[in-house]
Amino acid sequence: MADESGSKRGFAEEALPHLDAVYGFALRLSGSRDEADDLTQETFLRAYNAWDQYTLGTRAKSWLFTICRNVFLRRHERARRHEEILAVTAGPSDAIPEASNPLWAAVEGTDPEGSFFGSIVDDRIVDAIDGLPEEYRSAVVLSDVEGLSYAEIAEIMEVPVGTVKSRLFRGRRRLQQVLYAYAVEMGYVSGDALARETE
Amino acid sequence: MSFFGWFKQRIRGGHSGSGAPSGSEPISCEEALRVVQEFLDGELKEVPQEKVRAHFEACGRCYPHLRLEQAFRDAVRRGCGSAAAPTELRERLGELLREAGRDD
Repeated sequence: MADESGSKRGFAEEALPHLDAVYGFALRLSGSRDEADDLTQETFLRAYNAWDQYTLGTRAKSWLFTICRNVFLRRHERARRHEEILAVTAGPSDAIPEASNPLWAAVEGTDPEGSFFGSIVDDRIVDAIDGLPEEYRSAVVLSDVEGLSYAEIAEIMEVPVGTVKSRLFRGRRRLQQVLYAYAVEMGYVSGDALARETE
Repeated sequence: MSFFGWFKQRIRGGHSGSGAPSGSEPISCEEALRVVQEFLDGELKEVPQEKVRAHFEACGRCYPHLRLEQAFRDAVRRGCGSAAAPTELRERLGELLREAGRDD
């Protein structure tokens, strides 16, 4: 560990405990262990170099996630991101399409509490998450895996809270559709695939 | 007992239509289902958490929807698991940070 004197004081105590969480987030962003290694390394080196801009005792984890996502986007997705944002924000602003989840009706008579989700193997779940556009994927992982608040996710993704809600809503719906289709295919639940919702 | 375990004991399949009879203004099924995501995220703003909780406690039709959403989230969390950074990365990072510290 670096000399903890001067401007780098507190880095080991506040930043390094989040190494696993940042690596996990990097893994879901990139879908590759090698790239997750690089992303994590660069995230921590950047954080270390900018440590004097960090206020001790604030949310180091969110700050590290922000750096990690920005490094990832800068490396790979700036151009694509624009197209994705256009797709995500197309239509009636960030309005949530509808309250009622079509999955509820689909499983009402067979598995209303969704126990089929428990039968789906981890790799298939990861594949489904990796198949989401980055805007949805980041929102779902930061909320459902990391347990961050809407406000924290909004800060990391540099979007309003309403957009976070919309991306979570749509991302979860898409993920549910994919996992449900897989569960039907595997015979974990009886039914037909759901109609694809608005993008 | 867990929150859901307690639910299961209490719920006997009733569907109130207008929610639980607790508080002066119970919320409707439509309202409860509209905010189910925010409820599970702990991010309710427009409706008091207790009113939504009371509705799901009492309504046998809405409760499975809550369970379904929770089962989905549990699967996502399980699928992503607790990714541990590889030992090699941990060691390499430690070395790089030591080098960076020497350069400061």
